[in-house]
Amino acid sequence: MSKPWEKILLQKDATLDAKGLMCPMPIVQLAKKIKELKSGQVLELLADDIGAKEDVPAWCSRTGNTLVGTEEEGKVFKFYIKIK
Amino acid sequence: MTDKMCMVVSEGTFDKAYMPLIMGTTAASMGTEVHVFYTFFGTGLLKKTAKPKLPGIYRLFTGMFQKKMKAVGIPSHDEMMKQAMDMGVTFYACTTTMGLMGIKESDLKPGVKVLGAASFLKLANESKTTLFIG
Repeated sequence: MSKPWEKILLQKDATLDAKGLMCPMPIVQLAKKIKELKSGQVLELLADDIGAKEDVPAWCSRTGNTLVGTEEEGKVFKFYIKIK
Repeated sequence: MTDKMCMVVSEGTFDKAYMPLIMGTTAASMGTEVHVFYTFFGTGLLKKTAKPKLPGIYRLFTGMFQKKMKAVGIPSHDEMMKQAMDMGVTFYACTTTMGLMGIKESDLKPGVKVLGAASFLKLANESKTTLFIG
């Protein structure tokens, strides 16, 4: 997500901070968190577990939620997930 | 129809205790129906009193290991099992092992079911994936 107009489009409705947690806890908490959100809303997930880089896209494709953007800030990965 | 996944756990050490919980909670998070069948030394993990230790001489480092896991958000074995059950993971104790090892149904953690091999194989036949942890 480097293009500035795409950044503006990434309006988040909620943030889940999973920094410091290791596999499988970021995914487990993510699955819990999306139950609180409505269809079409965007969740920002922050994680620093290196496994999350592959796990979050895999989780999204498996559950039918859309990964609309990712960002890397130092050691922190940011995922933007649109709820199905 | 939801996908099904089965696991067989045949060992009762700390590592074998956590693997099905990690895989199980992850699969449940991904919308999969999970069934975990505990047999032989795995069955002891379902007892209320279960306190799994690392294998061999590493058992001395179990406490240290557990502290490290707690620091990265992984709960204790008992808590994680409860969490998995809340997420819809079903745990079964092998009836034959219970008989052989003298484990009573009242010794098992609340929510754990008992199952024979034929019933488990029926579940496994209906599953896309079956993992053996042992």
